[in-house]
Amino acid sequence: MTNYVLQAEDVAIHYGGVKALDGVALTLEKGQIRGLIGPNGAGKSTVIDAITGRRRLTRGRIVLLSDDVSALGVVERRARGLSRSFQRTSVFSEMTVWRQVELASHKMGVIDSANDAEAVLRELDLWNLRDQTAQDLGYGEQRRLDLALALVGRPKVLLLDEPMAGLSVKESLDLAQHLKKLTSTWDVSVLLVEHDMDVVFGISDAVTVFELGRVIASGAPADVRANPRVREAYLGSAA
Amino acid sequence: MLTINLFNGLVYGALLIVMCSGLALIYGLRRVVNFAHGSLYMMGAYIGYSISLQSNFWVALVAAPAVMAVFGVLLDRYGFRLLQDRDPLTVVLVTFGLLLVIEDSVQTYWGKSNLSVPVPEALAFSVDLLGTPVPAYRLSVIVIGAAVALGLSLWLRYSKVGLFVRAASTDPVTTSMQGVNTDFLSAGVVGLGTALAGLAGVVAAPFLSLSPSMSADVIIDSFVVVVIGGLGSLAGAFIAALVLGMVQAIGAVYLPDAAVLLPFVFMIAILIWKPSGFAGSRT
Amino acid sequence: MKKSLLGALLALTLGGVVSVLVSSNTLLSLLTQAIIYAVFALGVGVLLKQNGMVSFGHALFFGGASYLIGVLLQMQRIPAEWVIVLALLTITLAAFLIGLVIVRVPGVAFGMLTLAIGQMFFLTASRARGLTGGADGMNIEWPSHLFGVSMSQMLKPASMFLTCWTTLVVVMLLLAWLMSTRFGSLTEAVRDNEERARFIGIRTLLPRAAVYALSALVTGVAGVLSALNTGFVSPESLHWSLSGVALMMVVVGGFKALWGPAAGAVVYFLFKEILGEHATHWMTIFGITLIAVIVFSPTGVAGLFERWVLGKKPSVKVGGH
Repeated sequence: MTNYVLQAEDVAIHYGGVKALDGVALTLEKGQIRGLIGPNGAGKSTVIDAITGRRRLTRGRIVLLSDDVSALGVVERRARGLSRSFQRTSVFSEMTVWRQVELASHKMGVIDSANDAEAVLRELDLWNLRDQTAQDLGYGEQRRLDLALALVGRPKVLLLDEPMAGLSVKESLDLAQHLKKLTSTWDVSVLLVEHDMDVVFGISDAVTVFELGRVIASGAPADVRANPRVREAYLGSAA
Repeated sequence: MLTINLFNGLVYGALLIVMCSGLALIYGLRRVVNFAHGSLYMMGAYIGYSISLQSNFWVALVAAPAVMAVFGVLLDRYGFRLLQDRDPLTVVLVTFGLLLVIEDSVQTYWGKSNLSVPVPEALAFSVDLLGTPVPAYRLSVIVIGAAVALGLSLWLRYSKVGLFVRAASTDPVTTSMQGVNTDFLSAGVVGLGTALAGLAGVVAAPFLSLSPSMSADVIIDSFVVVVIGGLGSLAGAFIAALVLGMVQAIGAVYLPDAAVLLPFVFMIAILIWKPSGFAGSRT
Repeated sequence: MKKSLLGALLALTLGGVVSVLVSSNTLLSLLTQAIIYAVFALGVGVLLKQNGMVSFGHALFFGGASYLIGVLLQMQRIPAEWVIVLALLTITLAAFLIGLVIVRVPGVAFGMLTLAIGQMFFLTASRARGLTGGADGMNIEWPSHLFGVSMSQMLKPASMFLTCWTTLVVVMLLLAWLMSTRFGSLTEAVRDNEERARFIGIRTLLPRAAVYALSALVTGVAGVLSALNTGFVSPESLHWSLSGVALMMVVVGGFKALWGPAAGAVVYFLFKEILGEHATHWMTIFGITLIAVIVFSPTGVAGLFERWVLGKKPSVKVGGH
């Protein structure tokens, strides 16, 4: 059996008659980038919520590095190396870049949090902005900060919820490069929710396609792209 | 002895019904916990006093709430409406500032000493209730409370405007998208809420004397009622008001210390276990 | 931090100068009162600044400290110096335990909760004649000497002023230091974005309860000063309207800056004493000022100062959820 860093088994989230997720299975291998795509409302963000513990499961399990973490809360899962960024930028608007990133690193139990924070900030081109207050940053810079908060402490699994949203073409490409580099140099495995097809098919090692709370296809990017059901789901748009 | 206490409990409960329905309505439409509500009650009482000096109690009974209604509309238009995008706590603090202004203005204009309003002659007699004589005026307070409760319930349930109010309380965005002028509606409802507070004040004046501490006396009880009854729920407020009135009246005789603290214990329990109605954030 | 230390030394010197130069006892006594309120407001302000929470019940800790001292001194078993320590410790611990339960409650509900809790204690104190003297209040029987200083010396207006002023400065210094530590960053993060705070691994309950306890401690210190200053405590010190006044000082002064609440206390007293001389309705004017500040300059007087004089940029966030 392959060594998965992350596994979602038969995950379902039902509430008030809505089946946000209905029997989803996902795996993530070490050092892999898996893209999650699907139309709006297909359940991609909900899967991230389920995996991080933000939403309670109606059914199923989440296994992180061979441990069943389904009963653990957000904080505990973070401590075990499961990290996420947010679709709608979520940073500490009144704190300086440095202070919040260093704090995040410290909370991950990193002994030399200053070094770790510096490394991450430099990696994401935020080092020069470290004394700026988050709310004074530009949109793209704030998105990178959101990512930085998730990257400190060398997480094992990184869940990115539309990290390219609102970024320019150049910024998106730069970010994609960074991500590719991170998986190899820092040993991070990435689950990437994205709308930008070029990015997803460009950097992912594997792709999972969602529709209406279910997985309709999963595999290598080329195979998924050629899958007739996937093409149907997207009605020929950008697939 | 018990009868008269129960009776007085009902009277106070009826008064709270009139007052708290206003508080509940304002919260329902504007999501504002109106700290100034007690001072609006006081304002209504004092204005009623001045009007009845000029003419009589009955005119005051209509005119004072009318004045308060206008005040309420202005309060909504130039206060709540302009602050509706701010943090709920901000608006609460503003109502607190309003409380200070109203209290001080009332004291400045009418003075600090207690004033009394005589019971209107038409009701200055005793009625025999289960063998105990009770003042007819107080009985009529109960009637007024019941009338307000019934009237509001029917209005909200069956009238078109009532439907809009209920819709706007639940989902203001969709309601306004459906073409209902929610600003107009809110102003109206807030005006109604302040009028009700004023009405409670006018009605209370003949049997509770007018004093600068009037508002402080009732505001806490009003909050207790509205929290226990479930924020924004009128029916809940009605029941809670009656229960509170009774508990205080009976408790005052048999278990004074416990009776006073009990409502707070309930309020605290509810706020800790089910603050959902109060959360202020509907995300 | 060095800046704060320097500022503190300057402030202490200023206090010393004032206590020597000002001869009017009434003025000194007025200033003392203002300072005690400033410490009270500081406590309320800490809660608002670090937790983003508004408390309508902090008078509980103010009056509570005074009452604890009164009751403990009455028992005449513990030396007065230890009574003060014990009272403050009790307040802090009680607040921490209460905090663990109530800080989970969001928004306005938290405010109502603090209101209810505060009023419960007010009512209890008003009725417990045997213990607290009931609605009439109780005298606080200080011994003849406290910390080696004779009571009669300490109660002189100039020394009372200096004691209170020094306490204010020291408390502010300690708070400034605390906020610059990791604890400060942590609580700021929790206030700024609670959800993200959890996602970076912060358990949010304990820090928030700790801040609540800290704010209670500061308010308790004001209660101790008040007990010294007046030698008396009554249920009024527990009433929610007192909490409300403190809250107003915080809002008017601005809660973002550490010295904001103190500035608010000064403004309140200016209004009360100076405006009050000429206009009986000074409270109306203060109320209008409060509303104006909330609407137009939510960061208060301190915020205005920082914007105009220091050129800092404005940022507004009261509830911080």
